[in-house]
Amino acid sequence: MTLHDMAFYDMSSEAVMESLPLTEPVMLILLSLADQPRHGYSILKDIEQMSDRRVVLSTGTLYGALRRLLDDEWIERMEEEESSRGRQAYRLTRRGRSQLQLEVGRMKHLTRLANLRIAAKEA
Amino acid sequence: MLSVGIGVSLYRQLLRLYPAIYREQFADEMTAVFADVEADTLSKGKLARGVFWTREIAGIVGGILHEHWRALGGDSVGLCFPTRRFTMRTEFRFPKTTAALMTIILAGVVLAIKKGETISSSPVNPPIGPLPPTHSVLLGGIFLTLAFFYAAGMIGWAILFAMRRSGVHRLAETAGGPR
Repeated sequence: MTLHDMAFYDMSSEAVMESLPLTEPVMLILLSLADQPRHGYSILKDIEQMSDRRVVLSTGTLYGALRRLLDDEWIERMEEEESSRGRQAYRLTRRGRSQLQLEVGRMKHLTRLANLRIAAKEA
Repeated sequence: MLSVGIGVSLYRQLLRLYPAIYREQFADEMTAVFADVEADTLSKGKLARGVFWTREIAGIVGGILHEHWRALGGDSVGLCFPTRRFTMRTEFRFPKTTAALMTIILAGVVLAIKKGETISSSPVNPPIGPLPPTHSVLLGGIFLTLAFFYAAGMIGWAILFAMRRSGVHRLAETAGGPR
């Protein structure tokens, strides 16, 4: 499946254009959930690690973003019988994963273009 | 510095300013995560704890304002609301206004910490005699602080607007700039 196909996977292209590009906190949250479901604290720590402590989210910022991602059905809460109320885990939905892949594709394209332009200037 | 119990208690009080629906869904979880993160900062220095509290208070105040705005039906901004887009600005930009606001917030945090220390160091056994009437000033203080910062922000924006240096003017200049 190409990136273009994915754009029409479960939403219109208009909706995709409206949601891209992602903000950095949202991008990092999605990346954090890409490999495994995580709890809030684990997401915070993973984001710190991924960004070499350049991005440190507050709990208010994290849960504001999680609320919007839940509303847009990009992530979902996991049904866990053993989890307490204070320890909810989140995971990516198919829609969220598609959005993440689209964003990564967009950034790859941008990077490739930037490299070409810079190389042309230096040549 | 503020003890763990006082910190979590203060955080819970701040969470009460969120809309009820949001609180119902996230308050317990946010408190648990906050307690974990705060516990991590215990082994760090005062500066690190100050930065932590500044970040948390700034995050929660922003979240409260945004959630109330959304509750009023203004959530057309969706996922685009937070700043720091990849495409719009670099991560290394640090405007002077941000530095000023962070200093003000840090001063507020330091005052709150000092007050917390005063409360925690007060004698466990009160002097014998009639108990004075007690009342909580925390909520009133929070509202007053929010109102102060809101008013300060509005005045600042009005000055920038009058000087034609607001974001709207800058955007207009960019759009009409050299081609």
